[in-house]
Amino acid sequence: MVGTGSSAPRRPASALIWLISPLVLAVCAVTAVLSVTPAARAPVIWCGAAATVAVGLASAEAARRGRVIAGLRRRLAEREALLQRRLDQHDAETWRFARDVLPEALKLMRRGAPTDQVVRVTVPAHELEPGFSAAHRAVVRSVIEAVQQEEALRDAAHRAFVNIARRMQAIVHQQAYDIREMEHKHGNNPDVFGDLLHLDHGNALTGRLADSIAVLGGSRPGRQWRSEIPLYNVLRGAMSRILEYRRVDLHSVADVAVVGPAVEPVIHALAELLDNATRYSPPQTRVHLTAVDIQSGIAVEIEDAGVGLTDEARRRTDRVLSKEGGLDLDDLGESPRLGLAVVSRLANTYDFIVSLRPSAYGGVRAVLVIPPNLITASRFPGGDIARAPKLPPAKKKRRPGSIPLQPSETPMMDSPVPPPMGDGGLPQRRRRRGPAPLPFGRGAAAERARNAAEGRTPAPSVPEEPPVQPGMWLAAFTSGINGELHEQNGRPITDNPSDKEE
Amino acid sequence: MNGSRPDNEPGAEPPGNPDRLYILSTAETRARPRTHLDLVTLIVSRAEPDPGLQPEHAAVVRMCDFPLSVAEISAYLELPVSTLTPMLTELLSDGKVEARPPVPAAALPDVRILEAVMHGLQKL
Repeated sequence: MVGTGSSAPRRPASALIWLISPLVLAVCAVTAVLSVTPAARAPVIWCGAAATVAVGLASAEAARRGRVIAGLRRRLAEREALLQRRLDQHDAETWRFARDVLPEALKLMRRGAPTDQVVRVTVPAHELEPGFSAAHRAVVRSVIEAVQQEEALRDAAHRAFVNIARRMQAIVHQQAYDIREMEHKHGNNPDVFGDLLHLDHGNALTGRLADSIAVLGGSRPGRQWRSEIPLYNVLRGAMSRILEYRRVDLHSVADVAVVGPAVEPVIHALAELLDNATRYSPPQTRVHLTAVDIQSGIAVEIEDAGVGLTDEARRRTDRVLSKEGGLDLDDLGESPRLGLAVVSRLANTYDFIVSLRPSAYGGVRAVLVIPPNLITASRFPGGDIARAPKLPPAKKKRRPGSIPLQPSETPMMDSPVPPPMGDGGLPQRRRRRGPAPLPFGRGAAAERARNAAEGRTPAPSVPEEPPVQPGMWLAAFTSGINGELHEQNGRPITDNPSDKEE
Repeated sequence: MNGSRPDNEPGAEPPGNPDRLYILSTAETRARPRTHLDLVTLIVSRAEPDPGLQPEHAAVVRMCDFPLSVAEISAYLELPVSTLTPMLTELLSDGKVEARPPVPAAALPDVRILEAVMHGLQKL
C-alpha cells in the first residue's frame, strides 16, 4: 500500500520517460539522415522513421500498461484497507461476543427466557454483513441448547436425589412412628425400652441425612408441621437429631413458638450446626445452646469449646454461607461438608441469618437468627407437654408437702358424725360395710386365728367388768372377724399401724 | 393401667412433638442413687414448680400437687414409665417430689392364716 501510494505522484514523470527513447531515436535518425550522402538519404529516412515509429509504439504501450498497473495497485490497496478494517471489526466483535454476549445470554437463559428471545436480544442485527451476525446467533443458540440440556440433566439428577430422599424420609418417618408406639408399648420393660430408644436415635440420624439430601436437592426438609411448636421443643428436636446429644446443655429458651412451616427448617439447620459443634470439639466438653429475644427475631446461639476456626476455614465457611442460591454439588469437595451447605441453603430460603464467630471459650459460636415473621406467641408456655388438657382435673388444693395419706380422725366412717359413745366412755366404731381387710398385725392375727382354730376364747376381747354372758365370746369373735375389734387392753385397736394403709 | 395405651396414639395424628423420648432420659441419672419406683408408687410434690425445670419435670411437680401414682403420671403426660422413672428419680434426688411406697402386700394377712380361720369357723 505504501509503495503504491508513493509511486502515484511520479506517474506523470514516468509517462514522460516513455517519450525519451522515441525522441532519442528520432534525433539519432535525423542526425543520421543529415550525415549520410544524399544518395543514401532516402532509405535512411525510411528506416529511421520506421524505427522511431516502432519505438514510439512500444513506449506508448509500455506507458499504457504502467497506467493500468497503477490503477490496479490503487484498487488493490483500497480493497486491502477495507478487508483490514473488517478484520479488525470482526476481532472486536468476537471479543465482545465472548466477553459480553455469551454471559448475558446465559444469564437471561437462567432467568428462564425462551431461547429465541435470548438470541434476539443478545445478538442484535449488526451493521456488518448479515452472515456474521447469523453465525453468532447460531453459536449462541447452540451454546444455549447445550447448556439447557446440561441443566435438564442436572435437574433430573436433583429430582432423582429428592425423590430418593423423599422415600427415605417416608420410611424413616414411619419407622419413627412405629418405634414411638413400641416405646409406649414396652414402657414398662427397661431393657426393651432402652434398646428402642437406641433404635429411635439411630433412626433420627438417618432421617437427618435424608433431610440433608432433600435440602441439597432443592426441596424442603422433612415433614410439615401444621401448628406452631414451642421453641423449647424445636431446640430439643434439633438436639435429638445429632449423635452426641448428651453433650448439649439446653439453657434458657425464650418462651415463643415457631410457626409450623418453619419448624422443620429451623430444626434441621440447628441440628447441622449442633452436629458441627459436637463433632469439632473434644468429647469431654459441653456444647451450650440458648435462645434469646433480640430486636430482629430470635437468636439461637450454639457455643462449643472446640478447636475454633482458622482464618482459612472461616473464609471458607463464610463463602459457603454467603453463597446465593445455586449450590453446586462439586463444591462439596472430597470430604463432603454437607452441614454448612445445608445450613446455607436453608438460610437463603427462609431468611435465617447465620454467622460463625470465634467463641470466648476458644471454640466456635454459631448464631442463627430466626426472623420475626417465623416466630409467634407460644400457645402453651413451657412447652407442649405442659398444655392443659393433658393434666389431671383440678383437685382440692393442698399445701405442697402435706401428705394426705395420714388418716384423718374418722377416715373409715361412712358419715362424719361423731361416733356414738360406748358404755365405758370410749367411742364405739360402727360396723363397716362389706368385708374389710383384716387390720391385724401379723403376729396378733396369727395368735388370734390360732386361738379361734382351737376353739378357745380370745383372751383380749373378753370384757372384764361386766359379767360374762354365755355366748358373748362368739359375738366378740365374729365382730373381731368383721374388723370391728372395739378394744384391746382398753384402747381402740384402730391405732394398729396396718390400719392406716387402707 | 400398666403403661400400655394402645388407643392413645391414633394413626391419623402424628406425634405432636419434634423431640424424641431419649432426650428426656439423659445419662446423668445413672449416677444417682436409684430409688425403687413402682407403677403404684405415689408421687407428691414437695415444692412449687420452678421455672428452671424442664417442662416435663415442671408438669410432674405441678400435677403431683395431689398424690398421683407413677402410672397415672405416665398416662397424663403420655410418656412411657421407663422414661418417667429417670425423671422422677432426678426430681426425688432434688427434693422436688416425694415418693410414698404403696401398701406392701406383706402387710395383708397371708393365705395360711386365712385358711386357718376358715377351718376354725368350719369347726364351730
